[in-house]
This record gives sequence, C-alpha cells and structure tokens, in this order.
Amino acid sequence: MTDPTFRAGFDAALETAINTALNYDPATRARLQKLDGKALELDLTAPQMTFCLGVEGERVCVHRHWEGEISTRLSGSAIALVRLLRDPAATPAGVGVSVSGSSALLAELQSIMRDLDIDWEAPIAQLAGDVPAHGIGEALRGVSGWLRDNLGRAPVAAAEAVSEEWRLTPPRAQFEAFVDDLRDLSLATERLEARVNLLKEKFARRGAE
Amino acid sequence: MKDRKTTHFGYQEVSVDEKAGRVADVFHSVAARYDVMNDLMSGGIHRLWKRFTIELSGARKGQTILDIAGGTGDLTARFSRIVGAEGQVVLADINESMLKVGRDRLLDRGIAGNVVPVQADAQYLPFPDNTFDCITIAFGLRNVTDKDLALRSMLRVLKPGGRLLVLEFSKPQSKLLEKVYDQYSFRLLPFMGKLVADDADSYRYLAESIRMHPDQETLKQMMGDAGFVDCEFHNMTGGIVALHKGIKP
Repeated sequence: MTDPTFRAGFDAALETAINTALNYDPATRARLQKLDGKALELDLTAPQMTFCLGVEGERVCVHRHWEGEISTRLSGSAIALVRLLRDPAATPAGVGVSVSGSSALLAELQSIMRDLDIDWEAPIAQLAGDVPAHGIGEALRGVSGWLRDNLGRAPVAAAEAVSEEWRLTPPRAQFEAFVDDLRDLSLATERLEARVNLLKEKFARRGAE
Repeated sequence: MKDRKTTHFGYQEVSVDEKAGRVADVFHSVAARYDVMNDLMSGGIHRLWKRFTIELSGARKGQTILDIAGGTGDLTARFSRIVGAEGQVVLADINESMLKVGRDRLLDRGIAGNVVPVQADAQYLPFPDNTFDCITIAFGLRNVTDKDLALRSMLRVLKPGGRLLVLEFSKPQSKLLEKVYDQYSFRLLPFMGKLVADDADSYRYLAESIRMHPDQETLKQMMGDAGFVDCEFHNMTGGIVALHKGIKP
C-alpha cells in the first residue's frame, strides 16, 4: 500500500494546480459555486487510482477518502475521462467510460470544462508586467491554437497515412464495404442452412412414410 | 519519606506535578517560531500528515469539532471551512502562548465566527459529555502527563459514533530509517533549534519526547483500554508519524 504521505502530496499538488488555474477564470469559479457540496468520484483504470473531487464554494477539493454523498461516479482510463469532459462529441459509451449517479452533474461539468477560459496573461503580468505579458500571452495562444488544431486532426491524419500511404491497412471505405459483404454472406449462409434443414426434415418424413 | 509519583520529561524522570510546567516552558519558548520550525524540521511534510488527518476525520458541514493541542491552528483553519457557519470548531491548547499565536493567526487569515479558542487541559476537558462529532490531537498527546486520563476525557466529550484522531510521532518501520532519523533528531534538530529559535534544549526535548512516546501498537491498545472501538492506525512516512483512529461506541 502506498504511504499516505505520497498520496496526500499528490492530492495537495493537484488541488493547488486546479485552484490556482481557477483563480484566473472568474466565470468558471462563479459557475462552480452552484455545485457547492457536490462530489464527483473518479475511478481511474489506467493509471489505477481513485479520488474524489468535491466542490467547496468556489474551490475544488481533491480527496482520497470521502465519506459524504457521491453525486456522480465515473470509471474509465484517464485519457477517456479527459476526452469525455473536453470533447463535445464524446459520449460515455463512445469513449469507454461508465457513469453512475446523477448525469446532470456530469453534463454541467462537461459544459464548465468546455467553456474553461483561463487567463494565463494575468499571472505572467504579475511577474513580468502588462506589455511583456501580452506578447507572451499572444504567443502562447498561437501555439495552443496550433496544437489544438493539429492534435485534433492527428488521429485522422495518422489513420490516412497508415492506410493510404503505407498500405498497412485497407482504406476505411473498402473495409466498411468488406464488412457489409461479410454480413450479407453470413445472412445468406444462415438462410441456406435453414433451407437445407427444412429439406432434410421433408426427406426424412417421406422416407418414414 | 513519601513516594513521589514520577513521569518522563524527555529522557529525564520528573515528578508528575513538575511535567506540565516544564512542557509549558518549552512551548512558551517555541510558540513564536513554532510554524517556521515545523516547516523546517519536517520539510513541509507536516502539512501532508495533517491533510490526511482531515481526510480521515470525515468532517462535514454543521459538525462540532474539537482540535486539542491545536497550537497555531493549522487543523482548525481547515475544519472551520469544512463545517461552515452552522458548525463550530473549538481550538483548545493548554499553553497560553500557543493559543494566542493560533488565535491571532486565524484572525489574520479572516477565520472567525465558527472558531472558539479555549485554554484547556486534555486530561480534564471542560466540556459537557457527548459534545463533539470529532476530536483531533496533532503532535500533542506525547506532551500530556497522563495519556490514559486524557484519552478517557476525550471519550467522555465525544458523541456516540464520534471519532478520535491522534496524529503523533511514532516508531519508524525500517531499521535503516530509524538510524537516519535518530541522527537527524539528536544532532541536526537541536542545531536547527539553536539557529532558528535560539533554543536547542526545547528541540532536544521534542526529540526525546518522541522516543518516549508509545509505539503504534501500544497506543492502539491504550485507545482500546480507554473505551474506543474499531481502533486502527495508519503509518505515514515509513512510521515516523502514525495516525490513530478510534470510535466512541
């Protein structure tokens, strides 16, 4: 069993990171206040870890033990949970996350996470001043936009490269057509089997007469 | 000649009547620099030990909590936020200097309203029976003259089903860690005490009192003997510190 000191350190670091980030997004803090007292349990399968995120006023608290009521429980890999919370097209079943408890809290959290808009310029301005902070902020926004666009397209681009360029797998359309043919063949075989069985029964009855 | 009842004060044997006064002198001496020294001595890890204590307390809105030997109010500050305006946290300490530092620190952080500072001896808690949902005593029990009496006093003021959490230095679980820890406690700690608080003796006493404190299993047994049930402990940082939990039946 892990020493509770290490786990407490991890929880404290995560809690500090979340709340420091929230300090620079007043709109999200205000929305969180409406969820005061609610708790979300995350049961991660990869890496294996369970923790509970509780909302206390405008703060998010990370707990290892939570003896209060759990509003919603999510179970899945860390990547799947992040996708579920950040990707508007993601559904729990689609990304492999199981949900129990209130789905209203999940919907609200998804909405909050998608609208999250942390003003990174503010902490930089406190250290470097307004003008350099704006320049750095612009550069960071540019890099972040480029990363978001390219990382969003990356899975599609990778799939195209594997099938179209390197010919390691068949193209999607060809594969889907093959699957359809296979399904038709399977149905036709089942029908044929049923007919053969019927004929067998018929011949068996004639033989008996 | 009449036999005098004695107890330990660090590695010294002193009369029972004398111990409280000598412990008080130690804490009067270190009160002003207590927080700085705690951070320095533990490398800030004492905050993680306290965090785990709060998690296991299961404290919730509206509850009444007693923080014995609350010192400079670390646990009280957190409990105050958890129990909210409907709840109450009693910050108790036998030492006036520590209590003053704690009360001032809480006020400076804007924590007031649901916190009541009380100067109280853990052996004779001045509260009615069945008052508190939870009692914590962090790094305080080893300084109490009669620990069994204090545990019984805590049991009395807890509500049935309420829990006691004792966070205290304990016995390291590995021989190697114990050796390193001994060197640290008896060589480095008094040196740091001298450097930062100009008081090597008080910090030598802290190291000695830790060695004289009952180990994990003994303290668990003492809690059971006092009347607590479902007693358990969690070793932290290799057993340097242990958190004991007991429930009032």
